[in-house]
Amino acid sequence: MSNNAIEVNQLHKEFTTRVGFWSGRRKTTVAVEDISFNVHQGELFGLLGPNGAGKTTTTKVLSTLLLPTRGSVRVLGMDVVTETRTVRKRIGFTFGGARGLYGRLSGHDNLRYFAELYGLEPALARKRIAEMLEVVDLTERRNDRVENYSSGMVQRLHLARALLHDPELIYLDEPTVGIDPVGARELRQTIKNLIALKKTILLTTHYMAEAEELCDRIAIINHGRIIALDTPASLKRQVSGDTIFEIEIDAALLDELQRQLQLINHRLTIQVSEAYPNKKVNVRTDQPEAVLKYLTLFISSGHVHGLEVRNHSLEDVYVSIIQGKQE
Amino acid sequence: MIGRMLRLFWRQMNVQLQIRTFNLYTLLLLFVQPFVFSAVGMVLSQVAGNQKPDLVYTVIGGGILGMWSGLVFSSTFDIGRDRRDGTLEFIIGSPTPYSVVEAVRTLTNVLTGLVSLLAAFLVAVLVFDYTLDQVQVLPALVSLLLIVAGMWAIGVFLANFLVWSRLSGSIVEFFEFPVAVVCGFMYPIRILPEWMQAISAVFPIRWALEGLQAALYGVSDMNFYAGRWGMALALGLLFWLTAHWMERKVHDLIRVSGEMSSI
Repeated sequence: MSNNAIEVNQLHKEFTTRVGFWSGRRKTTVAVEDISFNVHQGELFGLLGPNGAGKTTTTKVLSTLLLPTRGSVRVLGMDVVTETRTVRKRIGFTFGGARGLYGRLSGHDNLRYFAELYGLEPALARKRIAEMLEVVDLTERRNDRVENYSSGMVQRLHLARALLHDPELIYLDEPTVGIDPVGARELRQTIKNLIALKKTILLTTHYMAEAEELCDRIAIINHGRIIALDTPASLKRQVSGDTIFEIEIDAALLDELQRQLQLINHRLTIQVSEAYPNKKVNVRTDQPEAVLKYLTLFISSGHVHGLEVRNHSLEDVYVSIIQGKQE
Repeated sequence: MIGRMLRLFWRQMNVQLQIRTFNLYTLLLLFVQPFVFSAVGMVLSQVAGNQKPDLVYTVIGGGILGMWSGLVFSSTFDIGRDRRDGTLEFIIGSPTPYSVVEAVRTLTNVLTGLVSLLAAFLVAVLVFDYTLDQVQVLPALVSLLLIVAGMWAIGVFLANFLVWSRLSGSIVEFFEFPVAVVCGFMYPIRILPEWMQAISAVFPIRWALEGLQAALYGVSDMNFYAGRWGMALALGLLFWLTAHWMERKVHDLIRVSGEMSSI
């Protein structure tokens, strides 16, 4: 077997749906369009993209829940189409959100049921359930009904379920969605611990900081296509050289600031967002001195409520790549 | 293998009971609905001029109808709930074939439905002084076993449609009363027009039910039972084999359509 835990080659997935009740017309939606990538053994690989980009569809094909329309997918050396059962024994997966568990059952009983579905012998199941509840810090609440768990606890129970049968490869689809910052940090630490145990992880997320903190490599996917694939450091270098100014000003001065900045005869990108009651202006430039000269006027006017100068984060890279492709 | 199946059965039963315990819908399904069916049967019997209602067809028929309704509604409810709650994907994505999970779950639902029959039977004995003197115990038990097997086979057959499309739930529920009508749950099947009897001939429950009704009336002719048991067994096997064949197709179809997570 090669060093790759996942080998995706020209994966294409489309869905066909009927349009209207009486009409025989059908509509085809392409969810994933001829994507190729590999994930190495022991790697934490991130799949990033906006809503509807094709991340979850890709994860579902990799976890045997969907059949590819064409292309090939090999997981741990096995074909997901023809060796479905064997693949399922060796992978674990979670999907973000509160769905996927029985709310009226306790966390412990949910795990017992899924341990049975994964064919764990009773003694082993008892041992693994106790261990996994400990790993996700739910031992104290194991006998409470899941419907009484917080979002963070549900996500942690999802993770415990995915790890029950000690899989070599784990898919985590939006694992920290809806979790408070403390819970998300704890979950990220748990994920790091899994990497120490030599597990291979495919993580899909919206949170760039999370991807930057955890992932060895990242693929950015949009409209079903991979538009960038590299390490976080290399991706950041792709738009290196620019400096970012984040300025919070009175909303009334926004037009004036934008007008002044446009006068600068250099390449710069301006993005405006709300910072009620003010406006936050994000300026990206390769000539920071020139921008700073104009900004000094505003700083002295007393209408600037905040100014931050920084280099690129992965989020900047992501926005730049996604917007660049859309343009 | 057998140990594994028994464990899975026990675990599934546990899950079903916990989800259903103190669920008013379940109480309605298991106790109130059969009681209503039986009451309607008795009223109709009186309207037809009978001095004393025929308890085999009214009370016990109501219990059988309760079992059947329970199976149809439980199967629809369980798969709909799994689809809505997102557990269907995790069950299908596990190494245990979904056909096994559904077979165990359907059996759990059919056996739970026996509570309806037991309740109806107790009402017949305790309230209406139904006596057990004439009952042929062994034929009654074998017939009951075949009713359970027949309902189970039809249940796993229908489950394929429920998994295949979220829209099929209402169609499956639609068949609840037509099947009950053509199979003669609450009256002798011979009173039906011949074309309806011909339709009912494809359902294993009809044959096993005729056996149970005869055993409760005290019929001792083993040839009568042998023919009906043979039909019930053969048709049950046919439903199960068809369900097994369909399961593979449905498994592929839902992986093409993504239907298992649609709500």
